[in-house]
Amino acid sequence: MTESWSIRTALESDLPEIMALEHESFATDAWSIENMRLELLAHHTVYLVAHENEQLIGYAGLSKVPASTQSDIQTIAVSPNARGRGLGRALMVQLIGDARRLGATEMFLEVRADNPVAQGLYSSLGFEHIDTRKSYYQPEGIDAWIMRLEFARGGVGREPIVLGIESSCDETGVGIVRGTTLLANVISSSMEEHARFGGVVPEIAARAHLEALQPTLREALAKANLSLQDIDAIAVANGPGLGGALMVGVGAAKALAVSLDKPIYAVNHLVGHVGVDILERGKIELPTIALLVSGGHTSLLLVRDLLDDVELLGETIDDAAGEAFDKVARVLGLKYPGGPEIDRAAAGGDPKAIRFPRGLSLPKDMEKNRYNFSFSGLKTAVARWVEVFENKGEEFNKADVAASFREAVVDVLVTKAVNACNDFGVPRLLLGGGVVANSRLRELATERCAANGIELRIPALNLCTDNGAMIAALGAQLVMAGRKPSGLEFGADSTLPVTTVQTP
Amino acid sequence: MTNWLLSIDSSAGTTVAVLEGGVQRAEINIPDNMSHAESIAAAIANALATAGIKANQVSSVAVGRGPAPFTGLRVGIASAMMFAEGAGAKLFGVVSLDAIAKSALEDSALLQSLSETTPLLITADARRSEVYWALYSGLTKAGAPIRIDGPGVIKPAALEVLMQERGLSPIITSLPVSATKLGQVFEAQLIDGTADADVTALYLRSPDAVPTPAKKVTG
Repeated sequence: MTESWSIRTALESDLPEIMALEHESFATDAWSIENMRLELLAHHTVYLVAHENEQLIGYAGLSKVPASTQSDIQTIAVSPNARGRGLGRALMVQLIGDARRLGATEMFLEVRADNPVAQGLYSSLGFEHIDTRKSYYQPEGIDAWIMRLEFARGGVGREPIVLGIESSCDETGVGIVRGTTLLANVISSSMEEHARFGGVVPEIAARAHLEALQPTLREALAKANLSLQDIDAIAVANGPGLGGALMVGVGAAKALAVSLDKPIYAVNHLVGHVGVDILERGKIELPTIALLVSGGHTSLLLVRDLLDDVELLGETIDDAAGEAFDKVARVLGLKYPGGPEIDRAAAGGDPKAIRFPRGLSLPKDMEKNRYNFSFSGLKTAVARWVEVFENKGEEFNKADVAASFREAVVDVLVTKAVNACNDFGVPRLLLGGGVVANSRLRELATERCAANGIELRIPALNLCTDNGAMIAALGAQLVMAGRKPSGLEFGADSTLPVTTVQTP
Repeated sequence: MTNWLLSIDSSAGTTVAVLEGGVQRAEINIPDNMSHAESIAAAIANALATAGIKANQVSSVAVGRGPAPFTGLRVGIASAMMFAEGAGAKLFGVVSLDAIAKSALEDSALLQSLSETTPLLITADARRSEVYWALYSGLTKAGAPIRIDGPGVIKPAALEVLMQERGLSPIITSLPVSATKLGQVFEAQLIDGTADADVTALYLRSPDAVPTPAKKVTG
């Protein structure tokens, strides 16, 4: 059944019709028109009206004072000839959503003790009878039930609030989502501490996670305007990644789940990179090819179902693409992390100046290693090229080297990803991982996808790099699909396969 | 109001205890020193269940700060930190060797035989042919071990030399850490006014990484 009414925010011009229904509904205790006007216009209220055939058939109002986490249903009325069709529920559901959006954590209402139909509606929405006010409705002296809905606990149409923890590499991430909506995404990076080593040092990363954990968690909760008690479930990345680093997040997430008595979901870090698209679009278009490129991973995935069917098509057989950027940056005397440095150095350089090798791209490789990557030989080729000049004591054009190297990396990445799209007949490509920050990768992917009729998705950069929001988003998908939570015994798995979306 | 304490140490194996007013209500020990990430949370849940309390009844969390090798120690501290966060409990750190000293000093004969030249020397395996160590002179009135030196990390032979140089002939003990004892050290420190909210990990070693120049690829 489709509703024939429309619901919108009440305007002052609705007042005469509202008052007519008010008097019809509440014969003995109707509000005055002055009070109703103040209610409609107040800053702390939300009033909705429902119309059908240009007739007002219902209204409802909510009060939510900004400093408070409580919200109150002020009134609700449905025209007698429109009752029994779910309009009361529709108005309530919308007001509940508005209250949550405004930061309320619970909602209160009063209902006549002699109105079982209304009580039934509220109960079915998750409200509980918590108190009774004697002889509240005058002059008849009818009792009022005080009913309360705690948002963190349940109710109809309720989207779970999930807190996600990510610690697989050098980023401590805590993200909070409500269903498919991003509420907070706080990232603390230890990148600077690794700079003098030219790459991520696992022990330094793990130590930094321990120090960053509490402040990152608190900041995320503050940004989401929530307390830990509002969280419905915890999600944590338990692999793949650096073992010692992952363990900090795993230990933390499990202890949090035990202390809050909430379910925990151990999720795959790489699949999290894919699922993050949900936070921007509300859903993910499937099937899709996903190219995940970072300092630790270079993976090409075919995702037919986010929770049940993720296939690894190929990955790097040596260095990750981000690692290659870091190593070549050192060769060129540039800083860590190499990606942005090489991007800068390449500006104005000729990408065709030097034809550096494209790893695993020869015809024989394209059969055996069609979707695998190799960047180790490329890195060596650049180093050799530079050393030849240095040994001769000659200057070389750094911009040309940077641009040519970058072109070689990006060309292979995009070529193989587009091949996968074409081979599997999947006209979608999703990019993820920190290397997506590389301007040339985005540019070339955009060009080639357009030329091949492939829809390209590049999430916002703070959702592309490692983050807790993507872990929370994947966790929320598992919750909403009714998946059983993980047990408390799972560990960190540095080589967790992408086929394991959730560790039991 | 009853004072419920959750005590956690992961400096060697996993040990978790729940204490009520300083009295043990549950203790779970998992000697395996390679499975902290897998086992600590379940151990906490089981200890709470054995003690018959809910997480939010815990008012304080005490955690062993080591010294210990890196990975397991971090899992214990991260767990304690987040448990305290979720349960709304206060968080305190205890030097793990103090908990071992507490166990050793329950032996009243041992306690009485201590003197200025005969302190208690607690050692624990630090891997890489080294030991963690600390020296104790006795107990405070409230029952907290009095640490007079350490914690440090050293080769066993060098530790012997150190003791000789100082003219000490210590009583040497190495016992496993008990979370109950760790909790009792904390309770005693609370009375002494020395309880410490610092939960920083005592690694006592720097990360192994050293900055290196880029390698040459041509001969």
